[in-house]
Amino acid sequence: MKFWEVTLNLLEGFGTTCSIFAATLILALPLGLLIAFGSMSRFRPLRYVCRTVVWIIRGTPLMLQIIAIFYGPPLLFGISGFDRVPAVIVAFAINYACYFSEIYRGGIESVPRGQMEAGQVLGMKKGQIFRHIILIQVIKRIVPPMSNEIITLVKDTSLARVISVAEIIMEAQEYTRQGLIWPIFYTGAFYLIFVGALTLLFRYLEKRLAYIKV
Amino acid sequence: MEFLRVEGFRKSFSGKEVLKGIDFSLEQGQILAIIGSSGSGKTTLLRCLNFLETPDEGRIFLGGELLSDATCKYSERELRAKRLKFGLVFQNFNLFPHYRALKNVTLAADLLAKERARAQKKEAVAAGCKRSRAAAEAKEFYRSLLAENRRRAEVLLERVSLSDKAESYPFELSGGQQQRVAIARALALEPEILCFDEPTSALDPELTGEVLKAIRALKGRTMIIVTHEMAFARDVADRVLFMADGVVEESGTPEEVFGNPQKGKTKAFLRHREEMI
Repeated sequence: MKFWEVTLNLLEGFGTTCSIFAATLILALPLGLLIAFGSMSRFRPLRYVCRTVVWIIRGTPLMLQIIAIFYGPPLLFGISGFDRVPAVIVAFAINYACYFSEIYRGGIESVPRGQMEAGQVLGMKKGQIFRHIILIQVIKRIVPPMSNEIITLVKDTSLARVISVAEIIMEAQEYTRQGLIWPIFYTGAFYLIFVGALTLLFRYLEKRLAYIKV
Repeated sequence: MEFLRVEGFRKSFSGKEVLKGIDFSLEQGQILAIIGSSGSGKTTLLRCLNFLETPDEGRIFLGGELLSDATCKYSERELRAKRLKFGLVFQNFNLFPHYRALKNVTLAADLLAKERARAQKKEAVAAGCKRSRAAAEAKEFYRSLLAENRRRAEVLLERVSLSDKAESYPFELSGGQQQRVAIARALALEPEILCFDEPTSALDPELTGEVLKAIRALKGRTMIIVTHEMAFARDVADRVLFMADGVVEESGTPEEVFGNPQKGKTKAFLRHREEMI
């Protein structure tokens, strides 16, 4: 039956979509925190470098960045660069790390200074203050903006097809080329279900953190 | 015998001198009230004592020994040790919103306990003890320290009449209750000197009484209280220090400063305060 065949093919593409999504999150969540620390650093050169990187990445289209990372190294240095999927993941990780870093920074800066000072006068170490006092309050504040970004990431993965990574939209376009239109609309269902699950997860997280009143 | 001596504290913020050479001393068990109008440098002085700010110049002597000299650079570790000599109760409480009252009191002590247990394990391993046994002993030690911290925190909460609120989150408490938890928290590590930065300024008038009562109950400890509550300062303090424009304008016993002020600025300040009431 055509429907099952299409579904299976789209599922395969959606698997690629999900791996890009997961790999990007795993890399970008910690990398974003590093960039956030860098852009708040008291060491001026580091701060400028981080803020410039964030400006460039947020100031140019993700599609352009994917192309640059895939075609850049071979064209510029004549070396063999990344394979297709790793190139996409690197581009996504850097791009999302920059967006995350700004969310982290906003979250960290919104925790009142008095919280850190209260830890300091109690003789706590900087790391202890961050882990036991600041971090959970930051997480509480950034869950809504982060869920927004992460939901956007689900759909942004469709950009991977500019360098021919066979994610779900690209799979569906194969059918369009053969004159079959409905599979391209059918992909919407996959995204909706995935985003629906994420939405429930974030709602649960927000509820779990509701006991912190800030 | 003098217990605390502060010598020549100076501090500028972007060119503006906030402390212009502060000297004072305090005996053990005495309560010092610092009064003065806003912007006179009271809070900055307190923050310098607690190492939240580094003065540009000045030295602190504690128990006859030099505790800190602004011209020396101290490591993070040394600073932590020095900070523990002082406790600070903030104007806006600064309780940790994600911990219950009891945990707010025990947190710092619990973290110290973890460090001590870790150090003990390291020592045992270095002394040739088997790793698994050292780990088990350290864990046992850590547990006993936690239990001790908890017991002491419960005593402290009882002393500020909040035994029934030990399991409440800060947002479930009134401002007065929050400030009393903050007092218990500041006492948990047994600082030599407890400082208060306008402890009742952020409270509704009907809640100031309970906090002042809790502070009064601590009489016998060495305390420094920056306050706008003149009646309280007069009643509870052993010494009063009036600050104006970054200098100690006048100091003495409450009877001297309130009853018979010598300087024009002190007289004007006190007269103005009375008119407000």
